[in-house]
Amino acid sequence: MTVCIAEMPSYTYAVKGKKLLKARGYPCEIKRNERPGSGGCGFSLIIKERCPEALEILRLYAVPYTNVRGGGTDDDGKL
Amino acid sequence: MTVNFDNAATTFPKPETVRRAAAEAVRQLGGNAGRGGHSLAMKSSSAIYSARETVAAFFGAQPENTVFTLNCTYALNMAIQGIMNGGGHMIISCLEHNSVARPAAALASSGKISLSVAKVYPDDDQTVESFRRLIRKDTKAIACTLASNVTGQILPWKRIGKLCRDNNICFIADGAQACGVVEVKLSDGINILCTAGHKGLYGLTGTGILLSDGSYRIEPIIQGGTGTASTDLTQPLLLPEALESGTLNIPGIMSLKAGTEFVNGLGTEKIYRHETAVCSRFINELEKLPGVTVLRESSASYVPIVSFTIDGIPPETAAAKLSEAGYCLRAGYHCAALAHSCLGTENGTIRFAPSIFSRESDAAALAAEIKKMLRD
Repeated sequence: MTVCIAEMPSYTYAVKGKKLLKARGYPCEIKRNERPGSGGCGFSLIIKERCPEALEILRLYAVPYTNVRGGGTDDDGKL
Repeated sequence: MTVNFDNAATTFPKPETVRRAAAEAVRQLGGNAGRGGHSLAMKSSSAIYSARETVAAFFGAQPENTVFTLNCTYALNMAIQGIMNGGGHMIISCLEHNSVARPAAALASSGKISLSVAKVYPDDDQTVESFRRLIRKDTKAIACTLASNVTGQILPWKRIGKLCRDNNICFIADGAQACGVVEVKLSDGINILCTAGHKGLYGLTGTGILLSDGSYRIEPIIQGGTGTASTDLTQPLLLPEALESGTLNIPGIMSLKAGTEFVNGLGTEKIYRHETAVCSRFINELEKLPGVTVLRESSASYVPIVSFTIDGIPPETAAAKLSEAGYCLRAGYHCAALAHSCLGTENGTIRFAPSIFSRESDAAALAAEIKKMLRD
């Protein structure tokens, strides 16, 4: 299991991403950022399995994310 | 007894589900949506997203391109100023409400844009041609109402949308009088649809919507807190937050969600049919009265609004007398000065606007009251 945290530009996109991933069987949840990320407060998507695949789905559906921690990726998702 | 026939200004009464949704939001949604990660805030955020989904689905938009505003006027100002701030040429119709005409005129008088006004005819071909003739190389946007708030005349918006698409022009639509009574979709060729939440969608006052198809970037005219990227002094670029600075009207938005579900449940066709029947009954009665002029043309189509004048009785005087008899109708210029120049109704009109809750019998009784007023 590779957990990763994708910082989202807004709550709206966090929910959009969560719905997209959950519908495809990727467990994930939304959390308020606990440490200052890019630009300050905001929301993150905690993706609990198959991070690279999940991030690819977000990219495919044009759901932007600003930063990724964990999951074998290192800041690879840029807005 | 009070009978409301001023539903074009705001619908009343509201459906029970709308009243309940607003009250429930006040009781349950105590957190500030999009601000903070505690349970109350997250619950409100989730509720607002669900409202976005409902409204977006109704108009064929995406939730992230669905912006909640204070009313249609705010939405239109955001759209018009946000698209035209960089200059260029803009076309509006001669039937515009001041919510389109004033921001457009302000930009023009400050020298930022040039502005043309297209005449609207009872014949759709002539109307489309009227817009087409005004298009120039630097035309950046056409902003026009889908239906006049004075006469209810429906503009051929799908054809205007096509005209915009063919000429790479942004189409900003004012749906205040059309949304909820006729089917309106972004796929009709509309790039930015602005509408009220409290009219045909039956939400509370203080609600409006801006829906974008994402083709044009709308420069924010209001900056502030969005709950995201707080250390950055520049306004976020992404919708909806880019245009939603400050705290949202959570009870209002939840009422709008319930209202949209109410309209969707009935279907716009049924609503249109019912309200049109009430209008037809009223018109039939008015046509029997000497000195009463109904502002309708047989070749045009209308949303359920009837504007009329009475010879020798100023509109405001007539409306005041009808109010004493228990009937609420709007009189005057309906915040649409351009439209009255176009229609030749320099003294304004009296406007009859039913809702799904209106009854034909009340329309007939109102006509009887007007007849009595003519006799007195």
